[in-house]
Amino acid sequence: MNTATPDPATIEVMRKTWQERPPADNLRLHDRRTRALESFAQNGFPTTHQENWKYTDVRKLAASYPECLRTVPDGTATPDLVPLIDKDALRITFIDGIYRPDLSTVGDLPPGVFAGSVSELLTAVPGFEAHFGALAHDSDSAFVALNTAFAGDALAIVLPDNMELGQPVYVRFHASTPQLGTQPRVMAKLGANSRATLIEHYTSSHQAIVNSVTEVSCETGAALNYYKVQEEHREAWHTAVQYIDLARDARLVSMHLDTGAGLARNELQVRLTGKGAAADCKGLFMGSNNQHVECRINVEHAAADTQSRERFRGILADKACGVFNGRIYVEPEAQKTAAELTNRNLLLSKGAEINTKPELEIYADDVKCVHGSTTGQLDEQSLFYLMSRGIDHDEARNMLVEAFAGELLAGTGIEAIKQKAQQALRALRTAGQ
Amino acid sequence: MLLEINNLHASVNDVEIIKGLNLTIAPGEVHAIMGPNGSGKSTLAQALAGREDYLVTDGSVSYKGRDLLDMEPDARARAGVFLGFQYPVEIPGVSNVYLLKAALNARRKEKGEPEIDAIEFMRFIKDKAKLMELDEKFLSRGVNEGFSGGEKKRNEIFQMAVLEPDLAILDETDSGLDIDALKVVANGVNKQRDGQRSFLLITHYQRLLDYIEPDHVHVLANGRIIQSGSKELALELEEHGYDKILAAAS
Repeated sequence: MNTATPDPATIEVMRKTWQERPPADNLRLHDRRTRALESFAQNGFPTTHQENWKYTDVRKLAASYPECLRTVPDGTATPDLVPLIDKDALRITFIDGIYRPDLSTVGDLPPGVFAGSVSELLTAVPGFEAHFGALAHDSDSAFVALNTAFAGDALAIVLPDNMELGQPVYVRFHASTPQLGTQPRVMAKLGANSRATLIEHYTSSHQAIVNSVTEVSCETGAALNYYKVQEEHREAWHTAVQYIDLARDARLVSMHLDTGAGLARNELQVRLTGKGAAADCKGLFMGSNNQHVECRINVEHAAADTQSRERFRGILADKACGVFNGRIYVEPEAQKTAAELTNRNLLLSKGAEINTKPELEIYADDVKCVHGSTTGQLDEQSLFYLMSRGIDHDEARNMLVEAFAGELLAGTGIEAIKQKAQQALRALRTAGQ
Repeated sequence: MLLEINNLHASVNDVEIIKGLNLTIAPGEVHAIMGPNGSGKSTLAQALAGREDYLVTDGSVSYKGRDLLDMEPDARARAGVFLGFQYPVEIPGVSNVYLLKAALNARRKEKGEPEIDAIEFMRFIKDKAKLMELDEKFLSRGVNEGFSGGEKKRNEIFQMAVLEPDLAILDETDSGLDIDALKVVANGVNKQRDGQRSFLLITHYQRLLDYIEPDHVHVLANGRIIQSGSKELALELEEHGYDKILAAAS
């Protein structure tokens, strides 16, 4: 059976959990959260009968959800974490969903950056409640609705017009309590012509559920560099959605790196709502053993003269399964749109699998849109060529895998992310051999 | 002897291409193998380099007294065998300099030498690049990536110059080259002739041999060497074509 909704008793358990641990919102978010919970109760978890979930079966995750939500985190756990970026960054740490000023490098965050409970954010960030869940719709999926309902602490970045945040904001979400369900939440609002770099880094030390939602709106001329690195524990479940809206002439440059979790599903939703907005999105996902990794990107061109480029690559070894779904949607008024979507995949073993679907949906007549997808194995001729120069088989194989990823990583602004990718590639090859 | 091929038989996709070939190359010698299309020239080159799908079914190949056929392609290269490809592959993402450094250090390791110093290495390859009239910016680009046909061939000889093999097998390195590029390639080869290093030039045309003077010329037809001689044999082939000699042999 692949039923859509948890049984009423299970929903009742989740509702009770929610009531027992109501995040203290001063009731201002109560209605919004109630709506989200009710949306979940009505729609339940997705099934593989739904087009968007065709290749990702969440039944085991769904079965563990109620219990994981009930798990109480150890609020004092202080794991020894190696930061991805250890200098020249604002480091903000959440352990088990709880903001930890003691593990963040900045006691006093600079103006515009806020971390803490959602209720504190309501006080600190005027109008926060209007933005909380404004881009993330409950009906998008059970996971988005659950995050809105249950998110406890959150990170908010609110930059006034013309403000440039000199240092990147590096936020670490680490799950250290076994069998815990966490709901990381990030909200950013970039005023006109402001600039920021945001790096989200997800790790866990046990089986856990990590379900994150990020909402970013960029006003006229704002520029966001966004990076997400996911390297959760191999038995963790990671689901995440980022909503990024770009107003007139706003710019997004993004890079996603997915290497961890037993089941990972990331979805990037970009909306180009203003004339001249542009997005350049890259992603590298990899899997080994029995990992399942899904990478989705949806770019909506809703205004004229908008541009986007999406380049995603997957590398899969052993019996890993990858899913790529990329969609470019061009609305009727989005004339002169230029968009390019490519997905390339490398399968390192016979048992590895990839399901890829790049899509274009175009309702404007004067646009330039291309998409393409290729999947292959390591090229035997290239392998022989390298070996004919004296390089042994394993090294030659490594060079080719690294080259495949390297083409995508070239130009990535954050050196630490490149290094992290290379590190993961080495681990992948060890696993795949 | 550097290389001794005895009664070599090799197949591709279960079709026998090399049918009992014998060839002996002494240190310092330059041999040219000529032959019409489909005679087995490239199969010989690939089989000697160890390409997996070129299956040796009979015969033996001894290189420096070792059983060459028992060695993996990379081990052959480290032992000093170099193949200049007829169709060099493009490998985006692996830079020429990265490949050369890995290859050179693999060869040095084999000889018990330490890894080359980074500065010394750059100086060394820049000198060799100049010799082959290759722009330095080629070094940082992907292997053969976006190179023209002539550039790819020059890059093969450049790699040879860097790796300094004991036996270089050049598979139709002259094909597709204009006369200026041909001269550069020939010069690169001639500079490497030192009385010890040996060459096996595989070519369809006599033209290359105007610039690289061979010690021996062999005619390959239907998988066997049907005639051997001095460099004059090449001129004879140029004048009369392969038909006459093939008719005489059959």
